[in-house]
Amino acid sequence: MILPHANPDPASTVRLPETAVSLRGVTKAFGSGNLTVHALRGIDLDLAAGQLVMLVGPSGCGKTTLVSVISGVLDADAGQCKLFGVDWKSLSGEQKTARRAELVGFVFQSFNLLAPLSAWQNVAVPLIIRGMSQAQAKGPACDALAAVGLGDRTEARPSQLSGGMQQRVAIARALVGKPRLLVCDEPTAALDAKTGQTVMDLILAASKRVDDQGRGCCVIVVTHDNRIFHYADRIEEMEDGRFKEAPADFIIAEARHHT
Amino acid sequence: MWRIAIAMLLGDKPKYLALVCGLAFAVLLISQQCAIFMGLLIRSTGPLQNVRQADLWVTDPAIKWISETRNLAESDLQRIRSVPGVLWAEPFFTGRAAADLPSGATRIVNLIGIDRTTMVGQPPLVTAGRLEDLRIEGGVLVEESSRAKLDNVSIGDTLKLNDKRAVVVGYCQAKPGFDSPAVVYTTFANAITFQPLGRNTVPYILVKVKPEVGVEAVRASINALPGVKALTWSELNAITIRFILIETGIGINFFITVLLGLVVGLAVSGAIFYQFTMENARAYAVLKAMGTKNWKLIGMVLIQAAWVGLIGYGIGVGLTGLFTLQSRRPGTELAALFPWQLLVGAFVGMIACISVGSFLSLQKVLRLEPGVVFK
Ligand SMILES: Nc1ncnc2c1ncn2[C@@H]1O[C@H](COP(=O)(O)OP(=O)(O)O)[C@@H](O)[C@H]1O
Ligand SMILES: [Mg+2]
Repeated sequence: MILPHANPDPASTVRLPETAVSLRGVTKAFGSGNLTVHALRGIDLDLAAGQLVMLVGPSGCGKTTLVSVISGVLDADAGQCKLFGVDWKSLSGEQKTARRAELVGFVFQSFNLLAPLSAWQNVAVPLIIRGMSQAQAKGPACDALAAVGLGDRTEARPSQLSGGMQQRVAIARALVGKPRLLVCDEPTAALDAKTGQTVMDLILAASKRVDDQGRGCCVIVVTHDNRIFHYADRIEEMEDGRFKEAPADFIIAEARHHT
Repeated sequence: MWRIAIAMLLGDKPKYLALVCGLAFAVLLISQQCAIFMGLLIRSTGPLQNVRQADLWVTDPAIKWISETRNLAESDLQRIRSVPGVLWAEPFFTGRAAADLPSGATRIVNLIGIDRTTMVGQPPLVTAGRLEDLRIEGGVLVEESSRAKLDNVSIGDTLKLNDKRAVVVGYCQAKPGFDSPAVVYTTFANAITFQPLGRNTVPYILVKVKPEVGVEAVRASINALPGVKALTWSELNAITIRFILIETGIGINFFITVLLGLVVGLAVSGAIFYQFTMENARAYAVLKAMGTKNWKLIGMVLIQAAWVGLIGYGIGVGLTGLFTLQSRRPGTELAALFPWQLLVGAFVGMIACISVGSFLSLQKVLRLEPGVVFK
């Protein structure tokens, strides 16, 4: 389901794209007895680095649960869930935490910026988590803000920024640590169409970026928002804890047709 | 991370202020009540602190505390003087007398009578007049801070003590007793004319021991006699403090107040701090999802607790310190003592207060599912 524009550089088509995410038979249930909710009912999925994959489907079908499991925030009940070849199950709690800090960037629907911190301080958080001092982190944090077009708002508090700007700060925060997996849960749901496009442009750019070792970033975007489907390299549609059988390529084709 | 923790704390001004004020209030309550309490305890032994010359205080075995004893007979003085090893033994009077002031008002005073020849038990400092003038019939030295209570009597003024004429011959400095009465010094002979007491007139006999015999031996010999008890300075001190602490009910009352301060501090700061953490649960979850290790989250909570704790502590003991300084000013009725042990005690109290909040908060933070960040 990899679309032509996914690999604009012909040289890289020679190399097989690295497998970022590999899921086999992943299940996850919440609650017990009569109240059990089967959020994931056996998910198989392979995602390559350098791709922008969208997870779509009705509310409550398990999209958030799936990205939580992929990013190591939630433990699967059964099945295998590998991120860059390492099964989350084989790691201790502290190791999982360290691996998230090293590999994963998050963008949330509700931004989740820390209100008392300025924009650049928010962006610096992942670097500080990795052990940098605030002073060391300031430079890269401001650069990351500049990259999302907020170079002049580094000192602003989240409350002084519009929703779109806050989400751009959140993207800068997600990208500042050069993650290999970027997980975005409904990143445009709280934004108007135009701001949503700006945010998606930034997320798309992140999926095209390669690090100094030539490795790409795997980007997963959970969304309801059909206005942004055309950004996807690949779309997976979920229903009731499973992937729908029919490939969702037509959605992309249709979306591209309309833009 | 600690900068982030502090920024979170300062980001919520109302809670931050409430936390600091709550802790400051608790520390103030605890330390100030303890300071007053210790001040009162020390004050209760004031009459004892004025007299350091004697090795032993001999009195009736029924003694309750320094200001409450049964008098001995004057004949006991001879009995004590004939105990082997006694260098000297002199009577020491302390008791109450009603003073009729020039203005016509009446005031109860603490009348202290010392031996007219040796002047054993004399006030620590004579600030005006001469000690020897006490030998004048009816001569009294008025303790300086007591003068205000006695219509500011001056040298040469006369007043009546238990209807007997007394004349002020000078001023002195001495520590007052538990209920801070006006203190008036005179000779033992004068004292018993002011205070006709029947046969038994001697509250205390002050004893100096011959160095070659030793205090213990002499004390044992005196205690072997019927109807008298010899106490060292520290024993009398301990008896007095014990009496005030237990028999007056003051101990339990102060204890309750201190406990209340602790409970208020624990409850208020614990509840506010926990609520603060609850409201920041999402921020902690975000940090957790982004890969912050548990020990760093613990550190963040503890730094926040320590921050408000130390500021609250500083304000609380600072206010108590000001209060204590105020109580040192001459003429105040406040009694307060602020030894370093109290600083440590209040610190422990503060730690107790914030540890409840931190403990609850840590439970919350460590159990937090990072998955909630997607909600
Ligand atoms: N922590 C949880 N506890 C109980 N049920 C949950 C929890 N998280 C998700 N669910 C349930 O799992 C199902 C899938 O949820 P979710 O993955 O959030 O769906 P989506 O993101 O597609 O809207 C829903 O029915 C939801 O109610
Ligand atoms: Mg969701």
